[in-house]
Amino acid sequence: MIEQFHYATTPKYNFPQSLEDLQLPQRFIELSLRSMKKINGECFQPHEITSYGPSKENSEGITLGFQHHDSFTLRPIPLKPALDYTTVVAVDVSSINVGETKTGVICAVRGAIVWKEKSRYRCLRLGPFPFHITEENKREIYGMLRQYYFKVSGDTNAPSLINMQNRMCNLLERWLQMGVSCSSNRSVILWDGSLTAGTIDSPVNVVSQLLEVARNRLNTVLAFSKITRLRLSGHLLTDLAWKSPPPSLLQINGFPTYVSSKVRFLGDLYVARFTEGSCSFRLDIDREIPWEQGLEAVQRLLGNDLFLQSYPETLRLAHIFSTFTANEVIGIQRFIAQKCGLKMVTRPNVRRLLFGPFGKGSEG
Amino acid sequence: MRLYRKEGNTVQILALPSENVEKGEYLLIEDPTSRRRLITQVIDIQFANVPGILEELLRNSTTNELVHEESFDPLEVASHVTYIQDSRLLFCKIRGTIEDGRLSVGSSWLPSRSQSTIKKLPTTSLLTLAKICDGLPIQLGETKELSSFSIDARALDGKLNIVTGKKETGKSHLSKLLVLGLVDYGAPVVVLDLNGEYTHLGFSSNGEKNEHFSKVQVLTPGDNLKITLTQMKLRVMLNILIHALHLPGTSAREFRRIWRFLQEQDTLNLKELGETIRNWRCNQHVRDALFSRYYSLLNSGFFTDNTAEAADLEEYFCRIRNGGALIINLHDTSLVDRQIAVEYVLGKLVELLTQWKIKAVFLFAEEAHLYLRETYWDDIVTRMRHFGVFTTFVTNQPNTIRENIYRQADNVFLFNFTNEHDLETVSRAAKVDAETVKSVARDLPPRRCLVLGRAVKDFPVVVKVRALDVQTMGETRLFFTDKN
Repeated sequence: MIEQFHYATTPKYNFPQSLEDLQLPQRFIELSLRSMKKINGECFQPHEITSYGPSKENSEGITLGFQHHDSFTLRPIPLKPALDYTTVVAVDVSSINVGETKTGVICAVRGAIVWKEKSRYRCLRLGPFPFHITEENKREIYGMLRQYYFKVSGDTNAPSLINMQNRMCNLLERWLQMGVSCSSNRSVILWDGSLTAGTIDSPVNVVSQLLEVARNRLNTVLAFSKITRLRLSGHLLTDLAWKSPPPSLLQINGFPTYVSSKVRFLGDLYVARFTEGSCSFRLDIDREIPWEQGLEAVQRLLGNDLFLQSYPETLRLAHIFSTFTANEVIGIQRFIAQKCGLKMVTRPNVRRLLFGPFGKGSEG
Repeated sequence: MRLYRKEGNTVQILALPSENVEKGEYLLIEDPTSRRRLITQVIDIQFANVPGILEELLRNSTTNELVHEESFDPLEVASHVTYIQDSRLLFCKIRGTIEDGRLSVGSSWLPSRSQSTIKKLPTTSLLTLAKICDGLPIQLGETKELSSFSIDARALDGKLNIVTGKKETGKSHLSKLLVLGLVDYGAPVVVLDLNGEYTHLGFSSNGEKNEHFSKVQVLTPGDNLKITLTQMKLRVMLNILIHALHLPGTSAREFRRIWRFLQEQDTLNLKELGETIRNWRCNQHVRDALFSRYYSLLNSGFFTDNTAEAADLEEYFCRIRNGGALIINLHDTSLVDRQIAVEYVLGKLVELLTQWKIKAVFLFAEEAHLYLRETYWDDIVTRMRHFGVFTTFVTNQPNTIRENIYRQADNVFLFNFTNEHDLETVSRAAKVDAETVKSVARDLPPRRCLVLGRAVKDFPVVVKVRALDVQTMGETRLFFTDKN
């Protein structure tokens, strides 16, 4: 039996009752506890907090270039903000490498959902959930989570220990996105990343289902990518210049739906520039909704949210609230050390040993 | 608690919020490898510089004002995060070392950072180790752990002491404790009482006579402290004329002649002095100068020709020779009259000490700058100390005491100061480092006193001064007392 911790759902937030995968947070906690239970008394090498970096893997990492200029067209679309008190919801997640044991790594994941309703922001933070991932249990953890969320068998090969952190993070993100899709109505839902599907953590059917659930409840999913590797004739998508003053979109028509036999774009592709400033972002809008509805959703977002450097405040807050600070990493390390009776050890830094003050890079 | 770093004689100790430590407390750093223990005192407490704290606070401040935040944290990791946020750094001064059960003030070694354990050192244990209250204890109050705190009366013997702090922090109260403590051990004490605060030391708070009643003598200049000119030495009179009444040198020489003339005639009294000045053959300006001083002496009420109402100060001093307090009540006296009285009393005191009629005397001087002439300061800490005058200065204006007096002070009883300038002045005391004075004294609550110097064997101790069952006379008169 799982070690009994007294936990309960937050009283004010109702997890999506309609969702079949309601047990996932419970399962997430149980998995977290189970993984941690086995490390009792081990030595623990805390991760150097000076070099930590929150990490999240996105399918936007796929490098893609559209070489043939004739195959696509660019269309600037001026926008007019529509103030109608539409709820804007944003989801973001973050993970952190907390340290290492003799048998594996300890990481933690956390998610945040932010609602912008009328003039108020409301935030729900979920986690952090620490996991001890070893070669022994990674298959079990990964398989179980995929089974609960993706409804696929656990036969899939689990990723390497290094990638497990990102996979866990993605799984939590997908669950939160599903939760938001199920519980929202006539809202604009913001995702951090793109609507590219077909990767190991974002199966096409899963992302399609997420979008469908959102559509069925009259929501519109807008996915913002801070960094994109998509290029048009060698130029980064977000570097494309157009003459329309902000707020405006640059619609990119004619790009292929399939990148490979597996990877698919489930959204229409835009470059968004909502305010003056140097930043523009890749914006994916669910391609299954009518073009006008997508455009209307963007205009409602413009009218009902704040923007900093063309980036929606709701999504910015979701990122801020999910990110781990160095202070939190120390807190999590202390939590793990106390709960699991870990002995903290500090392995010598090989770079420092070899190169002295010149060994400033990360270990390895 | 963990030892973090050491710079000079300061060590920094990392403490978690549950480890409740306050300024002034002692910590013992025990190094099992060297079998030595380092005694340190906390002089400042700061938040530990935890990485990422700024981001954390910024994020939290956002949630307070603009964003309503809820958290689903089933494992309760957040409590550990806030615990880390509240961790603190204790800045401690090294005070000594315990080796083989013996205490020494040296700190020429460094305890292990990884192996050392740190725990609180109760003040009582420190007092026992340092043998602070052995001998003739004067109970001053209690320590933070509510145990009784006493100093050895011998720590005041032959010493120069300073009691200082801002108004209404309890300086005079502590001085009274010291006075009565010394009196209890048979010491003669003279108090130059500027505000008449000590005049009722012989009475309990309910107005009844207490056990000290017979040992407390109160003399008020112009009232029961009057003297004839014959009781006065010419040297003391010239000091009064020159230093208190600012008589020029030429006139002082004429006065000396007049004085000696009257002595030879055996007619040294106020009436004859006036007549002689009037008829003395001298420059008119000199005569005018002498006359103006003569009338000052006359108007002071301190002098009389009536031998019956003249006080015999020598007799008063002899009465307290085996334990007693002689209170010179300077309340409601003008500056000049105060100076005249103090010149006489101190002159007489030195005279008696020189003749070994009294062995030594403990002098308590409240706000001494208001009646002590410039040249007396050095005199008190050097020459008069050798005669047996052991002075305790009590003041709320530390800059009125000269720097050399702070440097030579053997004991400092320091109450709260918030003014940087005052703290800077007091920090010149040689008995402790400036950082301790500035940091600890700034945060002392009323009636808490930081004791520095010989009395505590150079281990600064914060004491809550005990109540004293004597009639309080130093209270400020208020207007709105009955308008609640």
